[in-house]
Amino acid sequence: MALLEVNNLKTQFFTRDGVVKAVDGVSFILNEGQTLAIVGESGSGKSVTALSLMRLIQEPQGRIVDGEVILSGKDVLKLNDSQVRAMRGNRIAMIFQDPMTSLNPVFRVGFQIGEALRVHKGMNREQAAQRAVEMLELVGIPNAAHRAKDYPHQFSGGMRQRAMIAMALACDPDILIADEPTTALDVTIQAQILELMLEMQQRTGAAIIMITHDLGVVADMADDVMVMYGGRQVEYGTADHVFYNPLHPYTWGLLDSLPRHDISEKGELCPIQGQPPSLIDIPSGCAFHPRCPHAREICRTSVPDLKEIEPGHRSACHFSSDPRFRRTIAASQPGREVR
Amino acid sequence: MSADRHHTEDEQDPASQGPLDVEGHPIRDEAQRAPVLPGAAEVAQRPSRTLWGDAFIRLRKNKLAIAGLVWVVFVVVVTLSADLWVPRYFADPVSTEFAGLESPSADHPFGTDRIGRDVFSRVIYGARVSLAVGILAVSISVLIGLIMGALSGYYGGLLDAFVMRTADIFFAFPYVLFAIVLLAILGPSYRNVFIAIGILGWPSIARVFRSSILSVKENEYVDAARAMGASDLRIMTRHILPNAIAPIIVYGTMSIGGAIITEAALSYLGMGVQPPTPSWGMMLSEAKALMGPAPWLTIYPGFAILTTVLAFVLMGDGLRDALDVKMKD
Repeated sequence: MALLEVNNLKTQFFTRDGVVKAVDGVSFILNEGQTLAIVGESGSGKSVTALSLMRLIQEPQGRIVDGEVILSGKDVLKLNDSQVRAMRGNRIAMIFQDPMTSLNPVFRVGFQIGEALRVHKGMNREQAAQRAVEMLELVGIPNAAHRAKDYPHQFSGGMRQRAMIAMALACDPDILIADEPTTALDVTIQAQILELMLEMQQRTGAAIIMITHDLGVVADMADDVMVMYGGRQVEYGTADHVFYNPLHPYTWGLLDSLPRHDISEKGELCPIQGQPPSLIDIPSGCAFHPRCPHAREICRTSVPDLKEIEPGHRSACHFSSDPRFRRTIAASQPGREVR
Repeated sequence: MSADRHHTEDEQDPASQGPLDVEGHPIRDEAQRAPVLPGAAEVAQRPSRTLWGDAFIRLRKNKLAIAGLVWVVFVVVVTLSADLWVPRYFADPVSTEFAGLESPSADHPFGTDRIGRDVFSRVIYGARVSLAVGILAVSISVLIGLIMGALSGYYGGLLDAFVMRTADIFFAFPYVLFAIVLLAILGPSYRNVFIAIGILGWPSIARVFRSSILSVKENEYVDAARAMGASDLRIMTRHILPNAIAPIIVYGTMSIGGAIITEAALSYLGMGVQPPTPSWGMMLSEAKALMGPAPWLTIYPGFAILTTVLAFVLMGDGLRDALDVKMKD
């Protein structure tokens, strides 16, 4: 049985301007110890997907209107408040984007790491403090016993993100959700944090859901990749599938917009034209059609299903299964090798 | 885990073997020290200071605030110890045994009033009323205001609208007039002055606290706490309250001055503390007809009100600067 199974998840926000369909029918499966990357532009529904899994959607403006989130056989969406609290931080933990603001400035770092242990494991202060020091040591904070008594402002950005990872892993969760954990860090620290996450995954066996818009991060870490656009899944497959045999024009656009020194000598970037869609007023048919260089009439009128094109590799494009279409694209994109 | 690699990030590796100093930190000599940025070692070993510790250090640098604090402490000490020395060496505040309207002298440093009571001892005992009203009434306001502001700011929605519109109703009436009406209903007495001022003060506290909570709850550490599985009560008391309380401390301290003034005004109007209990406002009220022939009746209680209120305001002002982390030097 899969550790986490998400079926047709739909989360909407009810605003004055209309209903925002932030997540519109997302499904995926996460196995133990696996890493899933959710990729997409800002506003594609990545973070809302993650928050929905933890039932952290702010009500009453936002609501999970449909779907199932089955964690070890139990539907998270049917749990009551205290059961949800018992799950958060204990079975599913989360790391946030900005380590500078995710630690409470008035508490000592060690105390904050211990908080989850006191809440979930019923530890007393001394036990929690001791465990917090162990966790800090584990995530590579030197002189951990001393640093645990520091306040967050005495930590650098990288150290704070390490502390956040220690906090998230303190209760030994089954799933660690990382919402753009490296975006706010500089490049050298980014690499260290990613490496640390992989290391911690090997030690604890936690599955990771990595939310990012950085494909470089995905390539390093992910087993599976889910590409989201306009609140929907557009492509889902293993990292190899998505990187070496992408099926959806949006994924091509994402890959082409990366700076690559190995292919183009001149290093010109090919951005995706246009703006991400408004989630209140999602374009008819395929949400990507207004920006898709290959859009045809059918793309305007009918929403493509997420179809399995090859085993374990799904794509939501009308033409994904058409080998001629794929060849044409490859030819029209200089620098993309045809496999 | 390859521990070594991570130590390059921010500082030198203090986990290295070696002798330890008294506090258990490794002692190292210059030659052993890993190549680090100058100053990094000192930063790493800087003793942890709390937010409040930092605030206290900043407060100490503010001379006006310290002057306010000293005056408040002085008034509190004099007032609390009054029973020990005032009746013995000067006079009982309610006895009328002396000649009326005597100007200040060695026997009566502040003179006597129309019916022969010693003004010095009445000013000193009057401080009891002022301090008690100031502190107790503000405690009532702060207690109600914190609860209302917290509910309002944290939950928002209809509850917020209800609490804030109630506060608006309170603001719609002139403050002293409202207090007089309340005291007319409750009956003027020492205890009811606390209650009236306390009830009237909560809307401002609730507003300040609400806005403070609104900004604090947007912080990612509140989301992090929720994601960690903390309950609403825990998030509110542990994560939001300590970060949102500073404006209330400042506002509350300053409000003590305001409450003292209100008490004086109410007593001046005869709606506050009832005779023979001495109160600064009531003393001023009794002195108003004699301001020309017996100025000491006005000057001393007036001076007492002025300095005490000023002291609380200066203290509040200093606290505001001290608790403002952006002022960190």
